[in-house]
Amino acid sequence: MSEPSPTTETTESESTDTNDPTSTRTAATASMSGTSTTTGESEEELREEWTDYQFAGETHVAAENLDVHYGDDHALKDISIDIPSESVTALIGPSGCGKSTFLRCINRMNDRIRAAEVDGSVEVDGVEIYQDGVDLVELRKRVGMVFQQPNPFPKSIRDNVSYGPRKHGDIRTGLIDRLLGRGESDAELELVERALKRAALYDEVSDRLGDNALGLSGGQQQRLCIARALATDPDVLLMDEPASALDPIATSKIEDLITDLSEEYTVVIVTHNMQQAARISDQTAVFLTGGHLVEYDDTDKIFENPESQRVEDYISGRFG
Amino acid sequence: MKMARTDYQEQLDALRSDVLEMSDLVIERYEIALKSLESKDESLAREVIEGDQRINELYLELESDCIDLFALQQPVAGDLRFVASSFKIITDLERIGDLSTNLAGYALDAERERYPEVDVVYIGTEAGAMVSDAVDAYRHDDAESAREIADRDDKIDRLCGDASGVVIEDLLRTEYSDTDKEMMDDVSRLLLTIRDLERVADHAVNFCARTVYIADHDTELIY
Repeated sequence: MSEPSPTTETTESESTDTNDPTSTRTAATASMSGTSTTTGESEEELREEWTDYQFAGETHVAAENLDVHYGDDHALKDISIDIPSESVTALIGPSGCGKSTFLRCINRMNDRIRAAEVDGSVEVDGVEIYQDGVDLVELRKRVGMVFQQPNPFPKSIRDNVSYGPRKHGDIRTGLIDRLLGRGESDAELELVERALKRAALYDEVSDRLGDNALGLSGGQQQRLCIARALATDPDVLLMDEPASALDPIATSKIEDLITDLSEEYTVVIVTHNMQQAARISDQTAVFLTGGHLVEYDDTDKIFENPESQRVEDYISGRFG
Repeated sequence: MKMARTDYQEQLDALRSDVLEMSDLVIERYEIALKSLESKDESLAREVIEGDQRINELYLELESDCIDLFALQQPVAGDLRFVASSFKIITDLERIGDLSTNLAGYALDAERERYPEVDVVYIGTEAGAMVSDAVDAYRHDDAESAREIADRDDKIDRLCGDASGVVIEDLLRTEYSDTDKEMMDDVSRLLLTIRDLERVADHAVNFCARTVYIADHDTELIY
């Protein structure tokens, strides 16, 4: 892996010479002078060592040779990536690069899209999730997801959080408990309180848990959705642009929350906001046009000294 | 095809050419200061001292440009290394400007050559060459040259050490009356001149260190 061996799957023309000392500074002129695609990307070879990220902790999620097709569209090409536990991994890249597709592979949300065909392997805690007999309900309980638009149920704040555990049977609904008027509601209240506190929302809503969740602000709704995801006691949290619909104050609350959560959870976040990726993630994976994972490394390395010229051009906002 | 962020690219290009312009001005002042030291030309010395104000103004303008780039454009990767390094480099340039005014000041005060065997102009010329070569390396993102230029600092240090040695040995050998104020002034001025020239070379090394960092993300010369 240490040898700089270009993979065979490359773009068709000559790569830009990344050893050229002036290439960094002249990225602009380089992409204007012929070696560019219509989107403004310069062309270069993919190199395996750019994605061969070494880390100290344990691997929580591992994809290997993952390919996804949507009909004729080859959305993800041969993705292999190990995601460390209890950390924040940011997935960045231009629209259509496959980062959300990859995120959805981690809890098999793509199963819901009929045209999607997934080949390759994804392991969570060392267990292959793309094999027969995998309990998808159990999988999605362990691998929670938060979406771009806050999507609370039109129910009370309390019911939003307790919905998952109830469905999963985690809250006792035994006859005796109900007859005695205890147990269920105590356990439920405790669980709701714990999840809301973990999502940094409890103090703002503690006196109105019975109110409809749709009356909350957007930022509060998103934290409620995070609380809802946490309530089923997952260990991986997938977030697809969780703050892109929020104002800066609400965004910074979500960002603080993500940092806190990464002490206990493995967070994988797709974001279009590169500064957000830089602020909150421990490692960053850059997907580029064509569904390739081009570079994956510590976040400071990606933002200070990426290996790939295309990655540098993308994070500098020179295309995408 | 129109490039994304053309305005940003223009600001980066402008920063580079402004830093180079400031470099040229600083080198020009330094060379005049050396000339004034050599020829004891009062008008040249005054030109350097009065010109320092312009260098300080440029320094503040460029500092402000760098802060604007950080705050408004949030540079990353190579751009970040370039802006951060330029932000540091302009401080070195400004210091070289200050040292030039020191040298010009010594030229104004010096009436005698007490140690003609100490060739401060030679040391100064060597240190100045380091500065202008370092600027060229920055201009061309040339890390390899920058490393070589930084190595030349050892020679400057040696020249300065030898020069100070000549003065100190002489002081140890000779008995002076403690009322010889002229002697005291001459000796301390010469030692200060030597120290300032050594510092000019040190700033050239800093310049090289930042250039290596920009081009290669290599912090070896910085730390």
